[in-house]
Amino acid sequence: MSASTPQYDVVIIGAGVSGNLIAKELGLAGKKVLILEAGLSVPDSREEYMENFYLALAKTPESPYPALAGRKGSQSEPVGHLDNPATMPTPRATVLTLGKSPNISYLVQQEPFNELHPKDPNPQNPPEDPKTGDVRGLQFSSTYERNGGGTSWHWLGTSLRELENDIRLKTKYGHGEDWPLDYTELQELWGLAEKEIGVAASVAQQEPLEVVGLKYLSGYQYPMQAIPTSLVDQAVSSAVAGLQVPGTLPNTPGGEDPTLYDVFVSPTPQGRNSEPYDDRRVCAGNTNCIPICPIQAKWDPTVTLGKALDTNKVTVSYQSVAYNVAVDGKNATRVDYYQWSRDDRGNLTKVSKSVTGKLYVLACHAIENAKLLLLSNSQKGIANSSDQVGRNLMDHPLYLTWALAPQPIFGYRGPLATSGIESLRDGEFRKYRSSFRMEIGNEGWNFSKGDPYTTTMDFIQGTNNSNVNPPPGGSGQPVRLGGLKLVQQLNNIFTRQFRIGCMFDQSPLAENRVTLDVDKSTGKPNNVDGLGLPRPKVEYGLDPYTMEGFRMAAYVCSKVYERMGATEFTKNEVGGAGDFTYQGVNYHYYGAGHIVGTHRMGVDPKGSVVDASQRSHDVQNMWIVGSGSFPTVCTANPTLTLLGLAFKSARSILAALGS
Amino acid sequence: MSAALTGFQSSVLKPALDPLDLAHEYYVFAAAQVGEPAMTTLLNAYRAIKTQPAQQIADTLLETSSVSPSAQAQLAQSIVAMWYLGSWYVPGVLGGGGFAPPPLQVISSVAYTNGLVWRVMQSHPMGYSAFTFGYWSQQPAPLSSFGVNTGNGGGK
Repeated sequence: MSASTPQYDVVIIGAGVSGNLIAKELGLAGKKVLILEAGLSVPDSREEYMENFYLALAKTPESPYPALAGRKGSQSEPVGHLDNPATMPTPRATVLTLGKSPNISYLVQQEPFNELHPKDPNPQNPPEDPKTGDVRGLQFSSTYERNGGGTSWHWLGTSLRELENDIRLKTKYGHGEDWPLDYTELQELWGLAEKEIGVAASVAQQEPLEVVGLKYLSGYQYPMQAIPTSLVDQAVSSAVAGLQVPGTLPNTPGGEDPTLYDVFVSPTPQGRNSEPYDDRRVCAGNTNCIPICPIQAKWDPTVTLGKALDTNKVTVSYQSVAYNVAVDGKNATRVDYYQWSRDDRGNLTKVSKSVTGKLYVLACHAIENAKLLLLSNSQKGIANSSDQVGRNLMDHPLYLTWALAPQPIFGYRGPLATSGIESLRDGEFRKYRSSFRMEIGNEGWNFSKGDPYTTTMDFIQGTNNSNVNPPPGGSGQPVRLGGLKLVQQLNNIFTRQFRIGCMFDQSPLAENRVTLDVDKSTGKPNNVDGLGLPRPKVEYGLDPYTMEGFRMAAYVCSKVYERMGATEFTKNEVGGAGDFTYQGVNYHYYGAGHIVGTHRMGVDPKGSVVDASQRSHDVQNMWIVGSGSFPTVCTANPTLTLLGLAFKSARSILAALGS
Repeated sequence: MSAALTGFQSSVLKPALDPLDLAHEYYVFAAAQVGEPAMTTLLNAYRAIKTQPAQQIADTLLETSSVSPSAQAQLAQSIVAMWYLGSWYVPGVLGGGGFAPPPLQVISSVAYTNGLVWRVMQSHPMGYSAFTFGYWSQQPAPLSSFGVNTGNGGGK
């Protein structure tokens, strides 16, 4: 093979949302494509994954997917044995390893107080920086998968569009960044993405959100009718009728927005079938979109991968971990990767291989894309003349509140979420604090308290971990129940449980970043994976703009619960991963899995890594795609938009190939 | 005994036609954990009072009015938890820090999908719905239709 005849038209790294869509579009255009996928192949049947889920001790988002914890717990290993990432070929960030030391956690992070001082009776949260008000040393809490199909095996299916002001935050409100795209172009791309996914929604139902700048192209229709709202949605919706909240609370740093904003509930556009679509079934309300839809009524990237393979122009090489993109001048020339395997006894072996293409696409996920870019060229990095690779790491930090309704509203039924409060996503307050959306859960306190397990065990054993079994009369022991009394008490609690998750448009901060976990003087890795590659090190914190959003969200939730006559049980702890203190009040955030910002797009090559087509400013034949390109995390869940951007990239790749 | 302890009809726990035979699976599992003698002692305690009303049997065996339940009552708790949650909780190990104790293991995938707790909430196991599209926008069937034992008869 001569160096001048590449083996493929395009080599794509990563078989997730973006990689699969681009492969499909290129395959349909007759281009020869190779996808290098680090993890295991898509299983023939998802029953294998379902079995993993059923038997998992903790039903975390990662629980159905390969290479997980054991299925037996013990006092010392309550969630089962967690393998050291240094022994695994494709370790990844997981919920169960959050806040742990690097011999358990793949991401190398500052450990929280409780992990560092397990015996200390006085837990602490990291202090505010007196100058900036920022809280540093926090844990980045979002996780991801490394397997065929990627993380969006367990996306929720929420398919909201961004708002007009989401993508021009800087121009409009003087905060964050603008996107290098105009809204009209995005509207067209969202339409393509909605068709690919099969989004169930009604434009008429979304029209009230024009007040926050949600707009559709004239005459647009979603591919299928909306998903019915749940009884929980209906209860919240009727209770908040007429509720208004101010843009800011007293003592908001920076300024105030006393405008009153309407609070109302909107049905959520969802990537699950309300009618048969693409040979997939209608949603049966398994209440399990995360970690896994048992019947694939929810779109996931394996659907698009199947279409890509059907073109007969796309090949996938699994268990292939890229570790270097060779660059000569302004062109990528080769990808080096390890093909790994395990023998019958579990011994890991690897073979180093290389592959060439005319063009290259990095689609391995926001953190893994940054890792690969920084790792390439003998750890000198590529495509990074801006020094922005790995920076501006964002999430939708998720603030969870939970309550008991005064009467049964029957959670634990239907898709995990079918509605939200989207009406507070835009306003002048965005000059002073982060905006947020509010997702109404149909899963009781499953997320909040690990129910039904916690409350059930409380009433069986006479404990009060759920806080719904306090000692009668305020002293003595919580009750223990059996028989019909147990049934009735649990029914009384479970049918009234619900929760609201608030997700914030977190500020992009240059110091929130992914780097390689290497010794700076020697360049030698501190922590490696099972293939010997340095692991990602993550530094993370929150600024007052973002934290002020939490304060407002807690206020709005309390108002919603008050309107419903519901009793709130939200409890924020101290000293653990995701715990922080703002203006003297403790908060906790979860990861939303919306990992964003590590190779931001922009017009100026000095301040961004890729252009609006997600093409590298520095390396002309390389595209770096996915939510890592988002300049800001905005107020919509990111999958729909990143899929839309993949359509745009596919077009520019085809143009570059001269077709 | 399990019917009395759980508050469900024995026809739910052990149907006449029972290809899953969870009752047998659970007995074998529990006996392997705590030993046959402990199981026999508990069953004998049940047999001595089995003509009493179901709630009374449950309260007696679970010692619900006692400040510190005996090891035998803790075993009865684990049996209730097994039927409700499909998992084995080591008797006497309590949760803490705001969460349930970690289970030793999920007994089987069938045990998970047949947990009684999903019936208690008038729903289906998360990840195993036998209902059809849109059911979530309608009121569920009443609790009495989910196999709860509202009668006063003794367990079997």
